[in-house]
Amino acid sequence: MTNTVSIEIDGKKILAKEGATLIDAARDAGISIPHFCYHKKLSVAANCRMCLVEVEKMPKPVPACATRVADGMKVFLHSELVLGAQKAILEFLLINHPLDCPVCDQGGECRLQDLSMRYGGTRSRTREAKRVVSPKDIGPLVSMREMSRCIHCTRCVRFCREIAGLAELGVVGRGGDSEIAAFAGRSVDSELSGNLIDVCPVGALTSKPFRFRARAWELCRRPSISPHDSFGTNVALDVKDERVVRVLPRENEEINECWLSDRDRFSYEGLNSPDRLKKPLIRIDGALREVEWNSALDYAAHALKSLVEAHGADALASLASPSATLEEIHLLQKLTRALGSGNVDFRPRRRDFSTDGHRSGIPWLGMRIAEIAELDAALVVGSFPRKDNPLFALRLRQLAKKAGRVSMLSLADDDPRIDLAARVAVRPSELPAALEAILRAFARSHGEKEPGSRVLSDTTAPYAETDAIRAIAESFAGAKKSAIFLGAGAEHSPTAGRIHAIAGAFARASGARLGFIGDAANGVGGYVAGALPTGLNAYEMFAQPRKVYLLHGVEPELDCHNPAQSLFALRHADLVVAVTPFVGETTLEYADVVLPAAPFSETSGSFVNTEGRVQSFEGACRPLGESRPAWKIFCALGRLLGLPGFDYASSAAVRDEILVSTAFEGREGVGEIGRVGRVGWVEGLDNALDEAFAPREAHPAAAGALERVSDVPIHFSDAIVRRAAALRETKDAAAPEARMHPTTLEDLKISDGERVRIRQASGSSGAFGASGASGETTLTARSDTSLPEGCVRVAAAHPSTAALGDMFGTLTVERA
Amino acid sequence: MASMKDVFKSLCLGELVSGLTVTARALFAPKATVLYPEEKTPQSPRFRGMHALRRHPDGTERCVGCKLCEAACPAAAITIEIAPNERGERRTTRYEIDMNKCIFCGFCVEACPVDAIVETRFHEVCVESRAGLVWTKDRLLDNGARREEEIARDLERDMKYR
Ligand code: SF4
Ligand code: SF4
Ligand code: SF4
Ligand code: FES
Repeated sequence: MTNTVSIEIDGKKILAKEGATLIDAARDAGISIPHFCYHKKLSVAANCRMCLVEVEKMPKPVPACATRVADGMKVFLHSELVLGAQKAILEFLLINHPLDCPVCDQGGECRLQDLSMRYGGTRSRTREAKRVVSPKDIGPLVSMREMSRCIHCTRCVRFCREIAGLAELGVVGRGGDSEIAAFAGRSVDSELSGNLIDVCPVGALTSKPFRFRARAWELCRRPSISPHDSFGTNVALDVKDERVVRVLPRENEEINECWLSDRDRFSYEGLNSPDRLKKPLIRIDGALREVEWNSALDYAAHALKSLVEAHGADALASLASPSATLEEIHLLQKLTRALGSGNVDFRPRRRDFSTDGHRSGIPWLGMRIAEIAELDAALVVGSFPRKDNPLFALRLRQLAKKAGRVSMLSLADDDPRIDLAARVAVRPSELPAALEAILRAFARSHGEKEPGSRVLSDTTAPYAETDAIRAIAESFAGAKKSAIFLGAGAEHSPTAGRIHAIAGAFARASGARLGFIGDAANGVGGYVAGALPTGLNAYEMFAQPRKVYLLHGVEPELDCHNPAQSLFALRHADLVVAVTPFVGETTLEYADVVLPAAPFSETSGSFVNTEGRVQSFEGACRPLGESRPAWKIFCALGRLLGLPGFDYASSAAVRDEILVSTAFEGREGVGEIGRVGRVGWVEGLDNALDEAFAPREAHPAAAGALERVSDVPIHFSDAIVRRAAALRETKDAAAPEARMHPTTLEDLKISDGERVRIRQASGSSGAFGASGASGETTLTARSDTSLPEGCVRVAAAHPSTAALGDMFGTLTVERA
Repeated sequence: MASMKDVFKSLCLGELVSGLTVTARALFAPKATVLYPEEKTPQSPRFRGMHALRRHPDGTERCVGCKLCEAACPAAAITIEIAPNERGERRTTRYEIDMNKCIFCGFCVEACPVDAIVETRFHEVCVESRAGLVWTKDRLLDNGARREEEIARDLERDMKYR
């Protein structure tokens, strides 16, 4: 416990933490001191001088942001000295600041505007010409067109360096010539770049997609939860004319602090994309036609019923998107089970389901989000943290800064912009063995016998114990609080069960905690909703084509582990009912009934994030056109099918049913998990596997075969993000290339930049017969030293690679 | 006695005479009424009639789409939508004043930082339906084009009081 000191501000006694700055102490006491360069999450620069205050016995006014409190200090915020200083500082700042508030997007929410009104003078004495700073281009998200507005507070520079992890912006020139600029000709490619807009106190850095669209005072701010990653970032949706036109962070220290990833900030453009469906469609004489709701629902219910009667309930399979709300996933699984089928899932990108029925609980982060930065050591397995979950990467960066040791066992050496203690990049097939090598190295250095042979007995060759492996094991030695995080690459891997088991053994041996970063907003929620299959899982339901599919919010041609296989199954199904806000071209091809559902911004619902926190939200605007909240659609379908238990008055009623009374049966009978304890947190989170679990799957790669490494590019991760125009122009959304290690390229006698034909078997074990047995696509080959040899990195979730098969299968490459 | 006087007065048509005197005076006094529409009353340069949007001499629109007039309007009569134009400048894509709602207070004119929206001397509007009183951007620009000289002169004369 830190000591407190007592100070006096304008005659009011307050207690402050020892060592705190005056500005912090005042803020904690509810007194605000005007400032520009101070930001509570950034280091102190003390260069704007707006925060000058008078302190007794000090000859000159002092900056409150850089002055520490001392016992008995007497501070004056409104003395003549201070008022004069503030007025003078503002006059200084305005010498070169253009008076273009009418055309400035910051107008109405600008700190300089507000403080000038409150503390500044009323007349300008400047007769001289103002300086002009040339515009810069740093990418499609953040506008640097009006840099003359910059007041050189350097918040943006500090943000890049301290929060985003790389100094992409800097100050060039000196004195009156200083300018903020990116390195010559470079763009700012941070996945957190949108925060620059919030951080900049004036209108120098503004949002490009929002540029000149609306004024701050016309917007209605509604709280919501972002659906794009597993943290459940708190956002505020700014709505104008029933459209979301801007997204800002809502501060929540426990989740996103005051930050927001670019994906969460700019994905709103997808909500207003032309792909949004406004009326239900049904297939009449081979073409999809717009119809009224009642005919569409009647048709869907009738077709579902008759096909299930004709072919048996097992012919039906349902797949929900893991970014759908808890209520929607629950109702979909309820509907499917009521029709007699157990083929329901919400994990389309998963390949290995061997842990189903062997888990002690719901897989989760293993800790609270805020605890990540407090660890001493962490190992991240199979993740591209910056792209999988930018805010998770941010927490890791904080951890690394606090002298915590962060190491990575990944599939490619992408720059995580984190100071790493050690890192190893391996081929996907080597991932379990490499993890096991770490475990063995750790056990040996701790004088233990070789651990857990039951779990680890593996068909793949043992991984050589390199220095880096030892360094990772070493980083856990003596760590009081440590953790192993499994990322998307580990979860989607064909050996996910084995990785889970080995990571669990390592966690037990080292006293670390095991956690799943999670890949979607409802990765935990889906388990709570009871959407685990009792029949075919998300992969099998397409590998063994069904007659009837019920899809909610997924585009299997992009969202599934094996897109080609999924598309084949859908094209040959008798009935595909898609409940979705969007219709892509491919959906139009295979769907027979398309029911327009409202996306998260237009419906109420809940997400359970990866730490088990239940966050419910209301719709921010009216559903577009005739689209309807999906929970209502499922209720209507249930009632039309004559099924009991679909009379809910609101989504909250559905949620209360799930969270209070659900005991759900997993495959092979996982017990009663998913009960809510205190309001707001689900119970039954547990990453342990039971004794009986023995991983069966081995990686399909035969020796010498080229392995596919795939990631889900950050701006293609779900149906909304894919349709966000500005995000599509970022570097992260560039068309996928076939990236290979130079040696691999040489072995294939292909040179960098050549077009290559990639072939991949798209079906498993001949379920397709002759048709669609292999998919191919043509990409540009790139040499990339960050990859291990023998791999080809080909991104998933992109239309150009949708013809390929498994995300982590094997493939062949030849010159096109 | 008094009644005698009254009787005498009325016999001599005194009331009639005094009444007719007023009429006669008015008959020769200078006239205040004008023969509208051939003749018009004088107007102040600050006359608050129908609005106009102005253009720069080079033909570009003055309005920068700041939406201050919309925010200032107490009758919520103004509707503006904005977007960047082909040169990347902030411009309106829709600018409408609903004259049914407008109370001709002139707040919009005062709010405008670039003297784009003005109220002109024009006030003779005749429409067949209320919809005709919703003035679109084209209409406002057209009104401005017709009267630019007059508007500029009026603003000039008012300048020293602003
Ligand atoms: S661009 Fe904005 S944040 Fe950066 S120094 Fe200038 S005013 Fe500060
Ligand atoms: S004159 Fe007054 S009421 Fe009419 S549009 Fe302008 S601000 Fe609104
Ligand atoms: S008319 Fe004037 S106040 Fe209104 S939007 Fe245009 S520039 Fe702004
Ligand atoms: S806020 Fe203290 S000097 Fe800028």
